[in-house]
Amino acid sequence: MRMTRQEISFTFDGRRVQAFDGDTYGSALARARVDVISRSFKYHRPRGLLCCAGRCPNCMVTVDGVPNVRACVTRAVDGGTVSGQNAWPSVRRDLFGAFDRLDRILPVGFYYKTFIRPRAAWPVYEGVLRRLAGLGSVRRTPRQADHATKRHMFCDVAVIGGGPGGSVAALAASQAGARVVLIDDQEQLGGHLAYSQATVTGDDVLNGLRGPEASARLEKLIRENPLIEHLPSTSAFGIYEGNLVGASRGDSLYRVRAKQIVVATGAFERPLLFHNNDRPGVMLASAILRLAARHDVRAGRRVAVVTEDDHGCAAALELASSGFDVTALVDSRPAASDQERSAAVRSRHIPVWEGATRIEVVGRSRVRQLRFDSGGGRRSVNADLVAMAARPEPVVSLLAQAGAKLVFDGSTGLFVPAECPANITAAGHVEGISDIAGVLKSARAAGTRAALRALGQPVATPARPLPGAPIGAAPPPPATRKAFVCMCEDVTVKDIKLAIHEGFDALETVKRYSTATMGPCQGKMCHSLSAGVHAGITGQSVGKTGLTTARPPFQPVTLAALAGPHLAPERQTALHDRHARLGARWVDMGEWKRPFIYTTVAEEYRAVREAAGIIDVSTLGKLEVTGRDAGEFLDWLHPNRFSDLRIGRVRYRAMTDDAGIVLDDGTVARLGPERFFLTTGTGAFDAVEQWLQWWLAGSRRDVQTINVTSELAAINLAGPRSREVIKRLTGADVSNKAMPYLAAVETEVAGVPAIILRIGFVGELGFEIHVPAEYGAHVWDTLMDAGHEFGIKPFGVETQRVLRLEKLHIIPGQDTDALSNPVDSGLGWIVKAEKSDFVGRAGIAALGSRSGRPLLIGFEVTGGGVPAEGAAVVHQGRPVGRVTSCKLSPGLQRAIGLAWVNPEHATEGSALSIRLGEGTSGTTTAARVHLAPFHDPEGARLRGGG
Amino acid sequence: MIGVFKRLKMWSPRPLKKTYDVVIIGAGVHGLATAYELARRGVRNIAVLERYYIGAGSSGRNTAIIRSNYRTPEGVAFYDQSVKIYEKMSVDLDMNVMFSQRGHLTFAHTEQAIAGLRVRAEINQLTGVDSRVIYPSEIARLAPAVDLSSRPRFPVLAALYHPPGGIIRHDAVVWAYARAASRLGVDIHPFTTVTGINHGGGVVTGVDTSRGAIGAGTVVNSTAGWASTIAAMVGLRLPIVSHPLQALVTEPLKPFLDPVLVSATLNVYVSQTDRGELVIGAEIDPYSSYSNRSTLPFMEASAAHVLELLPSISSVKVLRQWAGVCDMTPDYSPIMGFVPGLKGFVLDVGWGTYGFKAGPISGRCIAELIHTGVTPDLIKPFSITRFASGEMLGEKAAAAVSH
Repeated sequence: MRMTRQEISFTFDGRRVQAFDGDTYGSALARARVDVISRSFKYHRPRGLLCCAGRCPNCMVTVDGVPNVRACVTRAVDGGTVSGQNAWPSVRRDLFGAFDRLDRILPVGFYYKTFIRPRAAWPVYEGVLRRLAGLGSVRRTPRQADHATKRHMFCDVAVIGGGPGGSVAALAASQAGARVVLIDDQEQLGGHLAYSQATVTGDDVLNGLRGPEASARLEKLIRENPLIEHLPSTSAFGIYEGNLVGASRGDSLYRVRAKQIVVATGAFERPLLFHNNDRPGVMLASAILRLAARHDVRAGRRVAVVTEDDHGCAAALELASSGFDVTALVDSRPAASDQERSAAVRSRHIPVWEGATRIEVVGRSRVRQLRFDSGGGRRSVNADLVAMAARPEPVVSLLAQAGAKLVFDGSTGLFVPAECPANITAAGHVEGISDIAGVLKSARAAGTRAALRALGQPVATPARPLPGAPIGAAPPPPATRKAFVCMCEDVTVKDIKLAIHEGFDALETVKRYSTATMGPCQGKMCHSLSAGVHAGITGQSVGKTGLTTARPPFQPVTLAALAGPHLAPERQTALHDRHARLGARWVDMGEWKRPFIYTTVAEEYRAVREAAGIIDVSTLGKLEVTGRDAGEFLDWLHPNRFSDLRIGRVRYRAMTDDAGIVLDDGTVARLGPERFFLTTGTGAFDAVEQWLQWWLAGSRRDVQTINVTSELAAINLAGPRSREVIKRLTGADVSNKAMPYLAAVETEVAGVPAIILRIGFVGELGFEIHVPAEYGAHVWDTLMDAGHEFGIKPFGVETQRVLRLEKLHIIPGQDTDALSNPVDSGLGWIVKAEKSDFVGRAGIAALGSRSGRPLLIGFEVTGGGVPAEGAAVVHQGRPVGRVTSCKLSPGLQRAIGLAWVNPEHATEGSALSIRLGEGTSGTTTAARVHLAPFHDPEGARLRGGG
Repeated sequence: MIGVFKRLKMWSPRPLKKTYDVVIIGAGVHGLATAYELARRGVRNIAVLERYYIGAGSSGRNTAIIRSNYRTPEGVAFYDQSVKIYEKMSVDLDMNVMFSQRGHLTFAHTEQAIAGLRVRAEINQLTGVDSRVIYPSEIARLAPAVDLSSRPRFPVLAALYHPPGGIIRHDAVVWAYARAASRLGVDIHPFTTVTGINHGGGVVTGVDTSRGAIGAGTVVNSTAGWASTIAAMVGLRLPIVSHPLQALVTEPLKPFLDPVLVSATLNVYVSQTDRGELVIGAEIDPYSSYSNRSTLPFMEASAAHVLELLPSISSVKVLRQWAGVCDMTPDYSPIMGFVPGLKGFVLDVGWGTYGFKAGPISGRCIAELIHTGVTPDLIKPFSITRFASGEMLGEKAAAAVSH
């Protein structure tokens, strides 16, 4: 198979690197003997491959402009451009590498102690610090075509982890009849089996197979199983409430909702602490094996194994079996506890050094030697590779996130889950079971149990033996200058020691001060390592120190994946293309697009005031409120009354919340004994409908609401000649006698069933016509045709705002805010104090005891200029109010508006001083309070008599 | 540079005494600043009790935005004092709290929102605080990464620019106050949970804790998200609802964004720390809860919204998300001062999503209140009695997403 692999190439910092198809950038760089792949965050130390599993920060590079890509798990692409980060001029020769020698003057938290004086110099220092910090750069190019996807999946059992445990759990669950989603962050199932030479025992399907064969077997069984969906190369990054698993693969997000979750995340090696434990060539034992097995790449020839437990023997044997020249097994314990394994190592002529102290790696951009004290003298072993072989730790982060309780197992020195939340099961190595037979047994049982529970059968969780007794205080960490606890943040043992000596006594505060565990690996490499160091320094047991909080995401997720496809819905009315054809300029109002203006305000204004204008008001919220108690219900929700509204009449409505604050306004028309038609402001209909539903829930009122907002198109026909226009379109009697101001009539317009409301927001004779949305365009066209001879013109939102301002009609949300009550907003007339009770009554009643409340008033500018909306009303240089609406009135040829002002400035004719807004350096203009409408104050035109 | 050789001794563990003159519940920025300011006034025998580690609550979870561009003159004046203390804090407390005044931009995507920002700009200017409404050409200069094209569904039309605004190293603020207070003799007791408050006849006499009972002349409630549970211990029901507030942080990147960006329309804000991470947050979660657990929908929505502003960061990865608990009042303003009818109980609560930025001035005012027995003018508008009289403050519009 390897013979046929296709050759590809990419560049790394400008240098061409050959690779095979199927390589990762990391494996190809290792094959090409590129040792230094990155530079560390603070000291710019050379770093190379460490974990080869996408967990650590050491191989982060920029690939085709995308920063912080982990080379070891990113498939190499022919022609790819890879570059190092956080280095100048290159990661191989980084001038900032000099920082490595400055560690004595750059101790942990140095920035808290320096650059304090002089104060004015801080921004300069800050600029330098900022440029030194950060990994990778963002290119300021707009986002490319959308490729992000989001998939919602539902299943009986989600299994996280596709190692031997997870795979067997998935098979077991499917055998019990469950639909399974198997999420694995590796390309191939079977986890470490792929590079393990040992023979598998403990499960019927795998018994007697060697690692790679067992791995292939699992792959085949799962591929052929119709009940299992396998998501390869997909990282489960979080378990959220409601058994929601978040997982991602590149820019794809998977939201997996599972009845049961089996967490089989296995175990992973962590680094060991010794001098220069971060040099290129110092790798996790599993990483070396994985590179060899998956990619046929030998990261070096002569490997020295460092350990502190029996895992070292196993690793040394595996490495030797895989063809590495193992030059030493260096054990920091006085003697191995597994004598049998130790003997096996010795029998392969691997020198074993026990009781090793002062371990040190020699070599700068590549390991050359390992030195240590053992057997009474300083030893040195030649090696170009150092394998760190610490006992793999259960990967408990996802479980901890989900709320599992962890306990420290004194016999193994590992944190294991003691109790899992409901519907979540831990299986395999993550439980602390390290032998393959035990893992498979636990996994099969967990898979079956999860399936049965998901399918509705109660199954008891077998009791687990309590972990071993807590051991005593953790051993003190090595006293060396450059033993790195946290690779991401360049935190050394010395740094943690200093932090603790300075008084940061709790693990969480040490973390925040030293930033250990807060880097790009999210603590995966250093969570327990830092807890161990902390315990060692403070003389506690690790069990007492505990771990810092596990937070999602467990693996980094791109913003693109989380965001999903770029969807930007907009709402268009049924008349949208009519407006487009008329050349309307648009304005966003909530989700709606509305015509802002068609021609000019002056032209549109004149049409409405002198002839007729029409405006699309389909965006008004429309609700049918029906039922025996509908009238009483509307009374309850409003300061005014609707139960006494006569059929065929419409009335203004303004709604208040519990505190008496104005929420929204509109109209209520009574179309039948138990049938009301309610309109709301644009954008408010969702909130109003929810508000109605909220008050209806559990109230036993006989009331139904139907949201007909999208069902009806609405057109307002206004102007002195509007009656003549509509007369041509309807058989109904539209005379002022038959259809007076505030009439509500169900009839036909242009041959279409319609509701006509005789109202006029703009202060003219007006007809608000509601028709089925599918006939909206037809009615609009018919009105335009019929109005042609009268000079009808469409008008936009901007003209409407000017027209209504001449009437001092308010717009809630623009002229009111979260503190505005109806009384002070000029809507006092709607408050019926004699009503028994209504929502907001107490708040409105309490107003009486408060003096000095600002009031909403109308004003006209006498000093010239048009103050900007939001401008302050000032008095002797202090703010005494604010403008909420202000427009140039074509009728008056001066600016008019609405403003909230303190009561002493709110009387008719009071002189106001109003600022003109930005770009005017605080210039003010003179204005005068004008409480009555500017246009038709008596309302004669509105009523349309004659 | 000599500073790096100083071994900062932070706070010293001291035995828990039987009685204190003042017991402050909550070792966040509010509690510690109050303790420090009291000690500076010469008050001795003060304890700060914290149920977890120092700064574990909202002080360690907030997104560290400092600004004073509020909407009411009362709010602006108050927060402005806090900004001024923050500006001098590194020097005054001898720890670099890294106050990074790189400016603060609040975007408007509609005409109406521009008017809303203008209201704030006007009040700010008239109160002596630097902020103004600016338009895309100037926004482009301050934050070139922002997408000012017509591509977004709601394009950016204008912004409220507040040059003194910025971000700070929030943990350092907590530590600086803790160290300064400790040096002045304040006892700080982490991992000490208050389980009850002893009171009778309208007088508070002490607290019960997980480490035993303590007598106290004055008890201060500065427990943010848990304020209502502490108040309940004296039978006081506060007009407070606790809501989760979430945030997330990305991997560190080279400098690419100077000011803090806020958009209420998009329900998102973002800043870049000195370490290079992008910190992204939103408005409080709509449901009430004391849970500190993060949610996936929050991350999804925040990502979608921030990419509307900064489309070039789509391949940037999220490293961590977390949640805190916010004590929300109906008018988005705090509750500070004595409680009528309950002697010795002081409230410094209702801090919602804006408590961190107010910490220093709150501490100063609460200390003055305790020391003199007189409510300082600056916090008079924040009395608990306003809910009975209906004299609420209108900060909702300025406090929402901006925090």
